[in-house]
Amino acid sequence: MRAMKHQLTLTPGAIDEPALIAARQMSAGMGAAVYFSGVVRGSEEDQTISAIEYTAFAQMVERQFHLIFDQIEKRWPIESLRIVHRLGVVKVNEPSLWLEVVAPHRGEAFAAGQFLIDEMKRTVPIWKKPLP
Amino acid sequence: MTIRVQFWSYFKDLTGCADLTEELPEGSTVDDLLKRLHVHHPKLAVMQNSTLIAVGVDYQGRSHVLRDGDEVSLFPPVQGG
Repeated sequence: MRAMKHQLTLTPGAIDEPALIAARQMSAGMGAAVYFSGVVRGSEEDQTISAIEYTAFAQMVERQFHLIFDQIEKRWPIESLRIVHRLGVVKVNEPSLWLEVVAPHRGEAFAAGQFLIDEMKRTVPIWKKPLP
Repeated sequence: MTIRVQFWSYFKDLTGCADLTEELPEGSTVDDLLKRLHVHHPKLAVMQNSTLIAVGVDYQGRSHVLRDGDEVSLFPPVQGG
């Protein structure tokens, strides 16, 4: 099994989903490409909001994501993993998070994607501040 | 020894600063540092049960022994996504 490819992007700019999907690469043995878009909701704890401001401890974000990537590579035969997280102000209805997992079968692709998000929310130092 | 402390997210508001330095005796632990910080920043003490601690870019517990020049980060629970 070849090493899992991974790409992590932290960006203040908008997430260009069509461009990300167009850039997808899959080898012949891969049968599943699962991608997920996390979108800013219009309310936070029953309060209407216009946006969320994301801040991060960038060097530690990289370290913690790579620790998660290492765990994923040990658990599932993933060919590639791409994740993009917005920083700064993200308006309601805009994606703040995008990820893609390419694997031989859907089971491991869904499982790895779910694991990545769960672990990110537990260990990756990114914070959000709702804006009215 | 000199320890640099960084505060992240709303911990900056609780302390009124983004970073500071503390002088501690050799062999001091993260817990020793926290006790020192809580004296001058009591709002931080209120948050101590939910405070996350990193030395450099790795999480550490309160018993972790610090070394001269370490950079310690204190922050609230993370909220990515």
